[in-house]
Amino acid sequence: MIMAKNPIRVSRRMLITWFMLAGFIFLFAPQKLTNKFQFAFARIFRWPLSIGRNVSLSARMEQPLTNVVSRSEYSQLQNHLANVIEQRDQEHKKVEKLSGLRDRFVLEGARFVLADVITASIDGSRGELIINRGQDDGLAEDQFVLGNNSIIGTISDVSSRTAQVRLITDSTSRIAVKIAELNASWVMQGAGNNSAKVQLLSIKHKVKTGDVVCARKKPGFLDAPMIVGRVAECERDDENPSLWDITVEPVCDLKRLSNIAVIIMNLQ
Amino acid sequence: MRWFRFAVFISLVTVLQAGLVDIIAIKNIKPDLLLILLVFFAIYCNTSEAIITSFTIGFAADIIGSAMGPRIISFGLFGTLLAYLRRVIAIRKMPYQSAVIFITSFLAGALVHFLTFLKGQPTPPNICAVLFGISLYSSLMGPFLFLPIAWCMRMRAYRFSRH
Repeated sequence: MIMAKNPIRVSRRMLITWFMLAGFIFLFAPQKLTNKFQFAFARIFRWPLSIGRNVSLSARMEQPLTNVVSRSEYSQLQNHLANVIEQRDQEHKKVEKLSGLRDRFVLEGARFVLADVITASIDGSRGELIINRGQDDGLAEDQFVLGNNSIIGTISDVSSRTAQVRLITDSTSRIAVKIAELNASWVMQGAGNNSAKVQLLSIKHKVKTGDVVCARKKPGFLDAPMIVGRVAECERDDENPSLWDITVEPVCDLKRLSNIAVIIMNLQ
Repeated sequence: MRWFRFAVFISLVTVLQAGLVDIIAIKNIKPDLLLILLVFFAIYCNTSEAIITSFTIGFAADIIGSAMGPRIISFGLFGTLLAYLRRVIAIRKMPYQSAVIFITSFLAGALVHFLTFLKGQPTPPNICAVLFGISLYSSLMGPFLFLPIAWCMRMRAYRFSRH
């Protein structure tokens, strides 16, 4: 018996209705669920995306000068110096206590997981990276991420083999920081356009342009303060003149990052 | 419509948009290749095909965007409107195509930002300037890409039929 093959015909109205419904389901579905599609895309097209990113990075790379170190190497060394100073200060405080108890050097127990950047979305208020390491490599949410020896963000979402990094400049990023020698904690919020803001800081504290801003230590995630950025602007707040409105710029060129390191502190 | 060819082509353009289009960015403003494709298929395909391609391109744009959903709805809606509009107005000359890309990009972008805001995601502070820049760049570049796209898709770029 020969059966006639009838093609399924769907009216345009039905087509639009179904597609719109799918769109609204995606729109209102939890971000954690829909991120899986983005991770899957990044994983499937990891090689062409990495190649494309490397090509665009090398196209924008400035010509190396002779007898001088490159800007990236210079900032990397500067950041390393700032971190070592912070760690030294912390060790000095411990020595001063003369507790007599055995202790280990900060970050001694930390593991650094190196990862390549698959895609970077840095525009306007958004600052996100997708990296090629995930849960299988020990990554978890809220872990700090290093780029050129400075904190550049935290892990915001993680799948088995990829993870999303929320950069410090992203408008949803909030991390506790300390500024220069001031011994107090403030919240630094991403402001987009390669900057972040520190607000609610009284003008009685002396802050000047160029001061180092460090991420405060966070038990289980960061054992010692590490450099995040430098004060780019320090003005009185328009709404409340008794407070500073501080603009912080990252010490690392976030757009040119090709690889990063994730700090895993709470090793089993 | 050759759907397999379309799927491969969209994947390729999505990868290009995500990874390589930064090279031609001017002050952080990049052309939206997927939106150019949306306008192309809305102009040169029949209405049903244009609806499917619009929503598919929206899905691809969401995958490399900040959140899933806003572009599927926005691209699908404006692609469908454009497909119906094309049945009334011929969009064959390059200046018209350029104007259509500009308007579609601006309106679709505005809806994307609104839906992104609705979803609770951050939106850039200077939306109008960003939208204008992207729309202008895409509209200047778009009509010149129509012929290569038509060649890749084995379509006749100057066909105009009212389905």
